[in-house]
Amino acid sequence: MAHVSLTKWARLKSPWILHFNTGGCNACDIEFLVLLTPRYDIERFGVLLKPSPRQADALIVTGPVTRQIASRLKVIYEQMPSPKFVIAVGACACSGMYANMQCYGALGGVDKFIPVDVYVPGCPPRPEAILYGVIKLLKKMKAVKA
Amino acid sequence: MVAVEQTAVDILKEKLGDNILEIVTPRPRRAFILVKRGFHRDAVSLLLERFKRSGISTITGIDLGDEIELDYHMRCHGAVITIKSRVSREKPQIETITDLIPGARLYEREVFDLLGVVFEGHPNLKRLLLSEDWPEGSYPLRKDWSPQDVKKNLHGVYSEPSKINDQGLDETTSTINVVVGPQHPALLEPERFLFKVDGEVVVDVEPRLGYVHRGIEKGAESLTFLQDVHLIERICGICNVSHTTCFCQAVESIGEIEIPPRAKYLRTIVVELNRIHSHLLLLGTAGLVLGYESLFQYVFRDREPTLDLMEMVTGNRVIPAFNTIGGVRRDLKPELNEKIQKILGRLEERMRFYKAVFKEDPTMRLRTEGVGMLKKSDALKLCVAGPVLRGSGIKMDLRKDDAYAAYDEVPFNVITYKECDSWARLMVRVEETVESINIIRYAVEHLPSGPYRVKVPRKQPKGEAVSRVEAPRGELVHYVKSTGTIYPYRVKVRSPTLANIISFHKIVKDGYVADIPAALISLDPCFSCTDRVAFLDVNNNRSWSWRLEEMKDLKGE
Repeated sequence: MAHVSLTKWARLKSPWILHFNTGGCNACDIEFLVLLTPRYDIERFGVLLKPSPRQADALIVTGPVTRQIASRLKVIYEQMPSPKFVIAVGACACSGMYANMQCYGALGGVDKFIPVDVYVPGCPPRPEAILYGVIKLLKKMKAVKA
Repeated sequence: MVAVEQTAVDILKEKLGDNILEIVTPRPRRAFILVKRGFHRDAVSLLLERFKRSGISTITGIDLGDEIELDYHMRCHGAVITIKSRVSREKPQIETITDLIPGARLYEREVFDLLGVVFEGHPNLKRLLLSEDWPEGSYPLRKDWSPQDVKKNLHGVYSEPSKINDQGLDETTSTINVVVGPQHPALLEPERFLFKVDGEVVVDVEPRLGYVHRGIEKGAESLTFLQDVHLIERICGICNVSHTTCFCQAVESIGEIEIPPRAKYLRTIVVELNRIHSHLLLLGTAGLVLGYESLFQYVFRDREPTLDLMEMVTGNRVIPAFNTIGGVRRDLKPELNEKIQKILGRLEERMRFYKAVFKEDPTMRLRTEGVGMLKKSDALKLCVAGPVLRGSGIKMDLRKDDAYAAYDEVPFNVITYKECDSWARLMVRVEETVESINIIRYAVEHLPSGPYRVKVPRKQPKGEAVSRVEAPRGELVHYVKSTGTIYPYRVKVRSPTLANIISFHKIVKDGYVADIPAALISLDPCFSCTDRVAFLDVNNNRSWSWRLEEMKDLKGE
């Protein structure tokens, strides 16, 4: 096995995730919430949900970015320590669904504001799909140096 | 017995005489009454006097081109009496009704925010939904407004993170302001609360809504009726079936479409499935908030079969896209009956266990009993809705009072608790879940045969309708106005949380900081509905970070 730094090893074994709703309808959020419960149990992969951006390795964003939340999203992303990863969950976070329907409050997808690593489409995506997105991210994390 | 709307019309006719310009009573339990400018206060107070336990459902503002119309939707004994008043567009000013009915405070602020109508005498006429950087004098719900007005400063919008105004932070007082939000470790949704605390006691709280304001009401005007069903469904991911039912009912009553009985029953089944999953979601997160993570895990395990059921019936777990104008989009397969009964039977058994937990567990009772008191009189004055109202001992349920779908044929009980505290509000939900199980069973057994949808023209005739549905969180109101095209002229949505959040101030005030989560969770707030149209990063400027631990479990994570 090639040399892996201690922090990277820890990150791969137990990525800490921050969940942030940027103005979605809650459907993705409740589907994300059930990941923590017995049927899906995301903790199998060492994933822990953390309340603070300062402790988070990955940010899970649900919802279209609304006017009010846009600046907050940037602040939260900036507060996260590097290397940082972003998963956009749901049609809104991927492409800003409401923004395409003449809703003035929604500005668009998450990638308009911060870089996104994994997109999970669906309205809302099934919990299995979100789980798959997280596992894909783990693979991506492996390739990152540091 | 004289119908409620007739009584209301009679009394208004008698007292106001010529000041009434127009009366329309299009269908049972609805009346639209246009009064002369300046007489809306008289009309509202007459209704409040005549009908005990009446209140205001919402205020709709409509831009008619030359004038702005304000519709005060008053809920009186199962009927909705709409008092209309018009103001000029150049100088939109009208007297407030908040002194008559305090529950109208947020509704007036909403109209002020989105249409620019100034309510004279309103105690706190501030922005409710739009962002701080929104240009002054730009009102999105006016017809001549275009998104170009605000596009200029779209990107690079940078507003400082939430800061506390320094009032009350001088050395002489012990009151401290704590800002919670909008990104916070507790709620799933972004919303900001400013708590003023004196030691352990909450002195005051000010919620800031609007982080989820997407502008759906405006968006709905630019889509056709049929397309709107899909947009309306995405107002809220949790109570989406209630939203579509409510919207479809409104359009159906404008177009005078009678939906087949089978569709009514199918709607009832799916609405109740939705209620079960919503109530279980709340009960689970309540467990988490109160420090019972095992209860959270248990409830969520038992909630999964409900979602499976939803998937079997509608084809989707959360957003089912089941309702449509003129009926439903899918028939119930007879071979599912057995499965439904089996899953519901198992859930009912589990509900008995949860009822015992909520009722008998001493720690559970200590955390919730006597916490977040909302007296009966306050609940009526603030016009709260749903389980919050019933937890304060008021027997009001739209499924009985203003029956829609198949609720006039299905037997069920309205659950009320007299304790007025967080415990009562949680118990109402536990027992309602059992009622919902029984409703679904009855509906599946008595499902009428026949078609499940009727064909509906794309164009709807001229008209307006107020539709109400008992959503999991309470009274949901949709107002739709059509001018005879394929597009609605105005769609107004009043979600139950907007009605309930106004009581948050009352229930946490003078309570302990540690009780905030238990109080908030008992309201079951859902901000995506409320903002339509809000998680927590705590910025405090003193070392009070231990408080954040208290907030941490506010909801769900």
